[in-house]
Amino acid sequence: MTSFFHMNEKGRSLFSRITMPGLVCLVLVIIGPAVFDMYMLNTMVKAFFFAIAAITVDILWGYTGCLTFGQSAFFGLGAYAAGLVFTHLGFTPAYVALALALAVIGAALVGLFTGWISFYRGASSFFACIISLVLPIVLNQLILSGGSFTGSSSGLTGFDTFEFEMEQWYWIAGGLMMVCGVLSSVFLSSDAGRILVSIRDNESRCAYLGLNPSAIKICLLGVCAAMAGLAGFGYGAFSGVVAPELTGFSFGTEMIIWVALSGRGTLWGPMLGTLVITVATAYLSSAMPFVWQLLLGLAFVLVIIFLPQGLIPLLSRPFAGRRTFVPALESSEVEADGRHEDEPVLEMTHVERRYGSLSVLKDVTFTGRPGELIGINGPNGAGKTTLMRCMSDGKERTGGTIKLCGHDIVRQHPQACVRFGLGRKFQNANIFDTLTVAECLRMARSVLERSSLFRRDKVIHLPPYALEVVRVTGLEAKLGTVARDLSHGEQQALELAMVLALEPRIILLDEPTAGLTRAERISIGQVFSSLAHKYGLCCLLVEHDLDFVKEIATRIVVLHQGTIVVQGSAEEVVNSELVQTIYAGPSRKDEEVA
Amino acid sequence: MSICFDILTTAALLFIVTSGLMMIFGVMQIVNFSHGAIISVGGYVSFVLAQLGIPGWYGWIFAFLVGALVGALMERLVVRPLYKRPLDAILATWGLGIVMIQIITICFGRGIQFVDAPLQGTWHLLGTDYSSYRLVMIPVAFVICALLVALLNGTRFGVRTRAVIMNEALAESLGINAGLIRFITFSIGAGLGTLAGMLITPLSSVDPYMGVTWLTSAFMLVMVSGHSFLSLLFTCLVFSTFQVLVSTYVNPVLGGMTIAVLAAATLRIRPRGFSRD
Repeated sequence: MTSFFHMNEKGRSLFSRITMPGLVCLVLVIIGPAVFDMYMLNTMVKAFFFAIAAITVDILWGYTGCLTFGQSAFFGLGAYAAGLVFTHLGFTPAYVALALALAVIGAALVGLFTGWISFYRGASSFFACIISLVLPIVLNQLILSGGSFTGSSSGLTGFDTFEFEMEQWYWIAGGLMMVCGVLSSVFLSSDAGRILVSIRDNESRCAYLGLNPSAIKICLLGVCAAMAGLAGFGYGAFSGVVAPELTGFSFGTEMIIWVALSGRGTLWGPMLGTLVITVATAYLSSAMPFVWQLLLGLAFVLVIIFLPQGLIPLLSRPFAGRRTFVPALESSEVEADGRHEDEPVLEMTHVERRYGSLSVLKDVTFTGRPGELIGINGPNGAGKTTLMRCMSDGKERTGGTIKLCGHDIVRQHPQACVRFGLGRKFQNANIFDTLTVAECLRMARSVLERSSLFRRDKVIHLPPYALEVVRVTGLEAKLGTVARDLSHGEQQALELAMVLALEPRIILLDEPTAGLTRAERISIGQVFSSLAHKYGLCCLLVEHDLDFVKEIATRIVVLHQGTIVVQGSAEEVVNSELVQTIYAGPSRKDEEVA
Repeated sequence: MSICFDILTTAALLFIVTSGLMMIFGVMQIVNFSHGAIISVGGYVSFVLAQLGIPGWYGWIFAFLVGALVGALMERLVVRPLYKRPLDAILATWGLGIVMIQIITICFGRGIQFVDAPLQGTWHLLGTDYSSYRLVMIPVAFVICALLVALLNGTRFGVRTRAVIMNEALAESLGINAGLIRFITFSIGAGLGTLAGMLITPLSSVDPYMGVTWLTSAFMLVMVSGHSFLSLLFTCLVFSTFQVLVSTYVNPVLGGMTIAVLAAATLRIRPRGFSRD
């Protein structure tokens, strides 16, 4: 059924946004008033508002990977905005506008504040989860201690509200849910929406592509809070009752159960699931009150253990033809940054790194210029990887200064270092597991080309050297393949292409030849040479294999016990007695090096 | 003076309630969200024993055994597949908590029950009369703490457990059965939960949701205190001081959220909380 719509579409019709469970939602909204009785309509209206809140849980948890118990707080805030304003101020158009503004903007502000607390740099995923528990607890206690103003534990009832017919409420709530669903779907499948998934997959890689995951998550929480607040406002205005339970942590976990049972990360799945579960609860709670909750709990446990992807993807799989969007690749002009050819792009002065009394780097001073391919060598434990870390993260070093393309990195985050012109390829392939090759490459371009919130670019622009890597390694034929399914070598190549897509001036390569065959080493060596000599990048190559490095490097720096002991051309270094001593030990000077 | 006793006994109760959660989180890095339901189970064990006329003191051991059995079943059936997915483990144990609470509700109904304390009346101490049962909780907390510290630091099981905490792969390659260690830890943790439920029932009432109200506080305390039981003892003391002071001098309802707010603030400033390592 979904494929029918996909075949029909030429561009991106509205219908193509709605998947199988979404169509069921749409049908329910359309036929509802004609077939349902009053009780069912009443239940469905509430369920529509719950479904909007469930969307926000799915976006935060299913797509972005932040487990949250706290969306009920924003829902409750919206409901109480309606309840408090209508009870204490009255029900006039002006006060309706005020209540709505309080519900949406108030929730958004609380959401931004909560996000600012939750998502600081280096926060663990547990921490955001804890804060999402604290928020409903705090809100709940505040409402309970609010006396007659908030109605304390019995809540607020009997306030004036909109006098719509049940049928009208049904259209309003159902329409609002469909609008929220379609908007979310448009956003989630856009280039910007894929950034959320990339944060879920690999947050540190996002930072090393120059993105700021914390800021993105804070904004996202603000938007999701506003949406939940809107839903809560609707719920409060419709039901005419607001109770402290709406803000509580139990209600927040209920939302998680809806999303988990129906399928996290599928958007329309949780919406339909919320409708089904809410209606079933309304009917079955009276027929078999405790058994129904028991069954729901049991189903939840089983789904979490055996079917983490939820039930709806399982049921709708036979209908869903997975459609992968494959953009074209195009070569982009690398803009000259107006810097002088010979100006150093990397200047390190007296850099040191201590862990307590242990000193891993001592007084490291050196410069890198465009077009240089510098091999950084040294035996295990010499401090090579620590040196890379210091260059790419301002918080790492304990002393000295580092300038990237003339910018002092001070104590800045990796994303700032990347924006100054640095690219870092890790030792193990560091990519986004569930994104396709094309999406990974697009992600790497998000700093240079702003990602659209509404659509996906049909063309990905890559600098010529990145395009070359993609073509030579055969990745171009696999643009639609999910990165997790690539071979080890292909993943390494993909990461290299992603780093190059940043158009860096300096590129850090941490043991890029580990695990490669001799033939692959030779070809990758040629790629590195051309990066330096043809395109003028400054390449820093960490290796402990001197033989490989001396073939391609223009300069070799040898680290030993945290200090630079020798630097110079390949011959000078390889023939240096000191280096032979370091590698082969003092008593075996005549043996071959490494 | 009585406020000092309030602080000390609240700290003791918090420690008793939290120790089971701590045992499990400390060793397995898994947050057992069914801890609240397990506490409720303890409450109902004491209720049933009181109905049968068995005196409260014997029940303590019995409660621990019931909890350990429940924990053993849970570990085998639910928790084991989720060690690699800690966030999902939170959810699955929460779901399990719902199941347990509903079973309790089906068996005993929703109503509130009361259980008498094995120790009635007050003691005259340092110029005030104070509930004797609450005072007894202070040495009980110390005994539990001492036993757990001794278990983890003084026995062969403790050495193995610490090996699993530090480096599981290495521990397994040295022939330590990490699965068994976890099984035992989880059972002990659940046993401590029911014991806590039994201990707190005379002070409040028994209802299916009685444990859930303690769960969030216990969770916060564990997050702040890290791995060590001594730092948990310290955290309980600090937080209960704040809680009692806010409840007494500001507003009892706001006192209910002091622990959550303090924990969030502590972790924001010091992500490792009060643990030393």
